[in-house]
Amino acid sequence: MISNRKKRSWFICTGVMLLLAVMALSGCSTTNKTADSPSKGENTSTQQATADKKLVMAYTWKPSGVDPHGDNSWDVMRSGAGETLVRLNEKLEPVAWLAKEWKQDSPTVWTFSLQDKVTFHDGKSMDAESVKASLLRSIEKSHLAKDLLDVKSIDVTGRLSLKITTNQPNSALVSNLADPSTIVLDVASMKDEQSYPAMTGAFKIKAFNKDQSLVVERYDEYWGEKARLAEATMKFITDGNSRLLALQSGEVDVATDIPVDNAEVLKKNDKLQVLSAPSLRTHMIVYNMESPVFKDAANRKVVDSLIPRASIVSAIMRGYGTEASSPFPSILFFGKVERKALDGTAEQLLTKDGWQKDAQGTWTKQGKPFEVTLLTFPQRPELSVMAEVIQSQLLKEGIQVKIRKVENIDEALTKNDWDFAMYSMLTAHTGEPQYFMDMFYSSKSEANVSRYGSKPLENLLGSLKLAKDTAQRNAVTLQALDIINTDLPQSFIVHPDNVFGVKKGVEGFTPHPIEYYYITAQSDIAE
Amino acid sequence: MIRFILERMAQLVIIVFVVSTLTFVLMRLAPGDPATILLTAHNVPASEEALTALRKELGLSESLHIQYVNWLRDVFTGHWGTSYVSKESVLTELWNRLPATVELASAGFAVMTLLTLGMGLAASVKSSGWLDRLGRLFALLGSSIPSFWLGFLLIYLFSVRLGWLPSMGREDWTHLVLPALTLGAGLGAVQARVLRAQMLELGDRNFVKAAKARGFSRTHILFFEIFKHAILPIITLLGTNLSFMLAGNVIVETIFSWPGLGKYFIDAITQRDYPVIQGYVIFAAFLIVGVQCLVDVVQAAVDPRLRLR
Repeated sequence: MISNRKKRSWFICTGVMLLLAVMALSGCSTTNKTADSPSKGENTSTQQATADKKLVMAYTWKPSGVDPHGDNSWDVMRSGAGETLVRLNEKLEPVAWLAKEWKQDSPTVWTFSLQDKVTFHDGKSMDAESVKASLLRSIEKSHLAKDLLDVKSIDVTGRLSLKITTNQPNSALVSNLADPSTIVLDVASMKDEQSYPAMTGAFKIKAFNKDQSLVVERYDEYWGEKARLAEATMKFITDGNSRLLALQSGEVDVATDIPVDNAEVLKKNDKLQVLSAPSLRTHMIVYNMESPVFKDAANRKVVDSLIPRASIVSAIMRGYGTEASSPFPSILFFGKVERKALDGTAEQLLTKDGWQKDAQGTWTKQGKPFEVTLLTFPQRPELSVMAEVIQSQLLKEGIQVKIRKVENIDEALTKNDWDFAMYSMLTAHTGEPQYFMDMFYSSKSEANVSRYGSKPLENLLGSLKLAKDTAQRNAVTLQALDIINTDLPQSFIVHPDNVFGVKKGVEGFTPHPIEYYYITAQSDIAE
Repeated sequence: MIRFILERMAQLVIIVFVVSTLTFVLMRLAPGDPATILLTAHNVPASEEALTALRKELGLSESLHIQYVNWLRDVFTGHWGTSYVSKESVLTELWNRLPATVELASAGFAVMTLLTLGMGLAASVKSSGWLDRLGRLFALLGSSIPSFWLGFLLIYLFSVRLGWLPSMGREDWTHLVLPALTLGAGLGAVQARVLRAQMLELGDRNFVKAAKARGFSRTHILFFEIFKHAILPIITLLGTNLSFMLAGNVIVETIFSWPGLGKYFIDAITQRDYPVIQGYVIFAAFLIVGVQCLVDVVQAAVDPRLRLR
């Protein structure tokens, strides 16, 4: 009997422990409710807060912090908390924002006049000194800002005026000042680890929950039109399907970067709508100019002419994109160029170049078949599908393509065992062509993945920096694109659209080719 | 017991050494230059000057053996490096995400344990009834439905169609329900079949017949004779699966945007955040060895014979 009693008490103990574990679990959850979701508590804090409008966005990326001069400047800009001296309008032209106006004094000197009565989120006034300090910090912290601005010195010439001198002529300076890496902040606010960066936007940062969300609230002392929303939350949902389901379940009002395959599902839901806008991205093929086959421009032109762009746009992109004829989409003035037609048929061109078709219908030259390796990568799944379509099309014409999927395309392109590769690039992220072309086509640039070199093109890129106005810049860019489309170091396939899923009743959310402005003062939601 | 703990500590050091060396070598063999990836995160091309400066800043310009010696020294002195992405201490980053993973793993473990015990015992008592058939069906589904699919099904049903539960995030207890079910349901259903089989097999043993002959009640025999012996292999399974939930719970955390270690690990892989990947693997090794030690102790407590071996 004593033994049985021992057994019984052992089991009672086990049962109690199990019960305690379950209770601890529920307690753990409750604790986290208050610790990790400050926005949740706000929902019931006051009657006023309940009446105020809040918008929730399912956001693709997951910033590691909220320093706008770090790697997360885009995320901060998209939250509506940060502003730059210049912003880009829907035509991608630079327009006044924190800077009221500007003028170019010489090829390397610019003077900017700032808006008056702008205050930072910590209540301090914005003046030329604070803007100078902010720009210098952005150059120090961000490699991109340093490259884009190429600043030699910044001088304060008045309470609200400053002079920026660049190392070399930089006609794209004004547009480049729209890049989020140059967001203006009160530098002193970055020294206090307990507070969030004090910027100037219509919203100020209320809470940043790492891995979970960025919450911003209306800044009542904002210098411009006050925000219509009391609060906006960007929830970080990196998985595309999870973003879609969060939108369908009504947990979020807007979901960014909806995969085009899912757009059709959303369209069938009468509570939701799909919005899209042309992006500044280009899906392309890059040719290895050192490849035995593709060092010959004729072969690149033949492949380029055989790419079924129309089918790719309709079948793979489901209509969410436009055929590409240059690195830049046609929403940009300098993107409006015609693709050069092939001089004759592909067959004529190859025959003229010494290729012959063998018994199996494959093109051969000096006993070697026209066989090439095409690289693709998994991070942009649509590119792998495009690669298969292109492979099939080229095979029909007698060109053998071996597809090789690599984990990291940038790493693979530094090696020499490839002939051509699928690639995707944001080509005019400030509405200006200069930065991309310098990086992508200069023979000295490590980002020149095709290993392409053209003296005339490099001369034109030099002229682009000296261009006096937009008209001259556009003219020089068009000349540069003419060289690129003649030499064809890349085949431009499609400019994809940005696709958003939006709950009906959300207002002021306008997809924009520039992907910086998501939550703005105009964002609103119906009661 | 002290000798037992010392043996486990020695094992832990060896495992950490082997794991850290393997991780370091494999990470360096993997394609991808973190400097390029960091600078092109927004697909804007990076200048050569910026790349060189960043490589120097990240310590990637040092030779491989110097990087290894530095890494190994740091692992054993608690300096697990700084994340390339967040610029924060890796140990702090992992530690900050541990509560979310422990919370989800505990909830998943609770679901798994309740299902294992409830369905296993019920199916063994009514070994040819509808409960048994239902248990078999659940076990079949549990072993054949991948967790990512089950997760999406649950979200679709309970969040999209019925609107009862949230589909993602970590706010209050309601956010825990679907990921915990996804994590624990399949494993629990399968383990319930193991428990049932054990219970039925032990039911024919002589010690059970002897207990019946002595006139003990059915409930007493079931819980204090059969179940006590049948639970031993289940404890091993529970321990192994708890390790999996703590250290390998990547898919469920990703589907439900649960801000734990698994999701952090996946993001680190995408961003080639070497210090985080290496730190996570060692952290996971600690967790797995720790849980296995716990399983050994629990087993020894349940079955005193194991203490003599």
